[in-house]
Amino acid sequence: MGLPNVMNTGRTGMVAAKVNIATSGHNIANTNTEGYSRQRVQQEAEKPNAGAGSRAQIGTGTKVSRVDRINDEYIAKQIRNNGRDMAHLEEKDIVLRQTEDIFNEMGGEGLNRLVARFFNEFRKLSNDPDSEAIRQSVREASQSMVNDFNRLRKEVDDTRAHMDSRIEGHVKEFNRYADEIRILNTKVQSVEIGGGVPNDLYDKRDLALKKLSEFMDVSMHKDGLGHYNVDVKGMGPLINGASAEFFSVSRSPADAEGKPENALDIHSTGHALGTVTHVIKGGKIGALLEARDQTVSTVLERLDTLAFGVADAVNSIHAQGFTRTGATGVAFFKPLAQRERAAEFLKLSEAVSSSANNIAAAAQLDSPGDNRIAIAISGIQNIKALNEGTSTFDDFYNSIVSDVGVATSRNRSTMSQTKDIQTQLGKMRDQISGVSLDEETANILQFQHMFDASAKVIKVADECLQTVLDLKR
Amino acid sequence: MRVTEHSNFDTVRNSIDRSKTRMTNLQEQHATLKKLNTPSDDPVGAAKVLEVRTDKVNNDQFQTNAKLAETYLNNTDHALSELSDMIVRAKEIAIGQSSGASSNEDTRIGVAEEITQLYQSAVATANRRIGDRYLFGGFKTHRPPVDADGRYLGDDGQMMVEIARDVFLSMNIPGLDAFNTNPKGSFDAYQVQSGRTPASAAEREMPKGENLENVNVFDELQNLRIALLTGDLSGIHNTLERFDGIHSKIVATRSKVGSRIQGLQGTMQSLERHNITNAGLTSSIEDADMARVVSDLAKEETVFRSALQSSSKLVQPTLMEFLK
Repeated sequence: MGLPNVMNTGRTGMVAAKVNIATSGHNIANTNTEGYSRQRVQQEAEKPNAGAGSRAQIGTGTKVSRVDRINDEYIAKQIRNNGRDMAHLEEKDIVLRQTEDIFNEMGGEGLNRLVARFFNEFRKLSNDPDSEAIRQSVREASQSMVNDFNRLRKEVDDTRAHMDSRIEGHVKEFNRYADEIRILNTKVQSVEIGGGVPNDLYDKRDLALKKLSEFMDVSMHKDGLGHYNVDVKGMGPLINGASAEFFSVSRSPADAEGKPENALDIHSTGHALGTVTHVIKGGKIGALLEARDQTVSTVLERLDTLAFGVADAVNSIHAQGFTRTGATGVAFFKPLAQRERAAEFLKLSEAVSSSANNIAAAAQLDSPGDNRIAIAISGIQNIKALNEGTSTFDDFYNSIVSDVGVATSRNRSTMSQTKDIQTQLGKMRDQISGVSLDEETANILQFQHMFDASAKVIKVADECLQTVLDLKR
Repeated sequence: MRVTEHSNFDTVRNSIDRSKTRMTNLQEQHATLKKLNTPSDDPVGAAKVLEVRTDKVNNDQFQTNAKLAETYLNNTDHALSELSDMIVRAKEIAIGQSSGASSNEDTRIGVAEEITQLYQSAVATANRRIGDRYLFGGFKTHRPPVDADGRYLGDDGQMMVEIARDVFLSMNIPGLDAFNTNPKGSFDAYQVQSGRTPASAAEREMPKGENLENVNVFDELQNLRIALLTGDLSGIHNTLERFDGIHSKIVATRSKVGSRIQGLQGTMQSLERHNITNAGLTSSIEDADMARVVSDLAKEETVFRSALQSSSKLVQPTLMEFLK
């Protein structure tokens, strides 16, 4: 073995040191890149030469065999699932908090107070059934209550419209990530065919998959070609190698599963029926669908039941009474044809809104002191008319408020647990795949020394060669 | 265990976040003096608070109702007391004039004039008003219940007021019940009625006096006057017994009014107590314990500071610094 070979040995050391320093540099540069896994250079000793005239095997230096990506697929999967749950809870939290805000009257006015006032005004009227001033005040209180019913209905409806626009945005993003994974599948495959290991593409694809799972419940399995094949739970394949299905949204009529009129339906090119609105579970989109079709729909339905119940009960008693002008059979609220959207259509009858004299307080004609109708109407407050005779109107409304509160607080506590798990998983992942700057700095120094020493080897070999050459002179 | 910068910073961020969330929460409690700021803070408590608030609104109204009923009943009592004085005076006159010994035509005509005055005062008293509402007209509050001829034009309507939840009390005495000893077609509503339906038919039937004769204040005064003018001594004498009947009827009515007022006052006191209990209940649900909030806030501030301090220790030194 000759001295030039020793120079080569030094050279391999310098190259390996350079690759290591470059990789550390790459790691440092990507310290804060989302989804990045640190990389490590794997070296091995170069094939040794047989020593001249001896059996000794003499080393010929080192070679960089590959650059590994340090990650744990199991943790990645856990992080994905946890991320999906977290996104689900966070999305729900936003929507529930909005809904809760609408019903929050802890600080002052709200429907509870206005309904109480409404019935109380009839109590006042019963004290002085012939008073013009009190009649006006009954009408004002009723108008305020009606306005608040309308306001609540509208605000909850607005929240729902807002949810639809979020669904639309999420579906677009979801499609984008599905497309990204599909493209990455092809890119990864083309690199792998050439024998390469596309570490950074792996990271990118893992990240895209993680983002994708934030939107709904999906599962991934790797096929023999290294493709990520993704299934949507309940629907079937979403990404299969280089092809992917896409979602779209459109407005459609109400359906039996709680989807409100004119709300968005989600369609997929990959589903026989086309419509997958009620198949999608989990993640952000699942959260929105759940909130829209269940939580908020229930709230609206109960609000409508309440409005309809109040209007119906008041009207049926009011119509039996006699107004100040002696008319009977007068409706107090504009009669509602159906319970559906009652809170939206609730308003005072034309008679009552045109004159407060059309409020009936008396049960018999020509009796200004007769307050029996006013008393009966105020008594509606304590009648258990709803929930199959178990709830008064007050109970019923209060239970809407507390149910929204329960949903919000339960969601929040689950969210904080999930958040803790997320932190924990993040730490575990970081422990394995995260870049430690100190570690990389130490590595760089280590390889700088290796580089120096390898150069020294060349220098020494050069000097030895010089000595040999000098022998001739 | 590998600890990376990323997880260091994450830890820092998390602990600062958490501490700040708690501080914001305490801050809100401090600013609003309430621990219940949204229903989700305590959903069950929130429903309870709403319920109690409704209760409070209603109780306030019940108190107003009770005060109004008290005013009505007090005025009724005054009117009845005046009426009773008039009856006593009329009876005195009748006693004085019923025996021939003390009676002569001149005095009889003189006192007949006084009876006319009494009659007019009695009609005026029966037509007593509160504001623009006639006290004794039943539901017919808009016109005088008794006309110049002593005819009753009101009805037997009882104006019920709710003085506590589902507790009703009639705040008026229909004139028929006060002026007639045995009114036909009227019912003698009892003091406090539970449930909201006005008296049923059966209840209307209920009170019928033993005395079948119906005597009317105004008729009787007229009878006395006519007897005085015509010098009909036995006629004068006959009024005595009937005046007794009328008087005891008025006294009975007054005692009825009195016991209603007593009942009212009891109810008002219990409403007041109820309001106080309710205030205590809501306060325990929604009011923040300020001493606790302030001390927690101070504690949290310390936690926050120490989090910041330890963070500076955690993220400061890197290997780089020691390699210079």
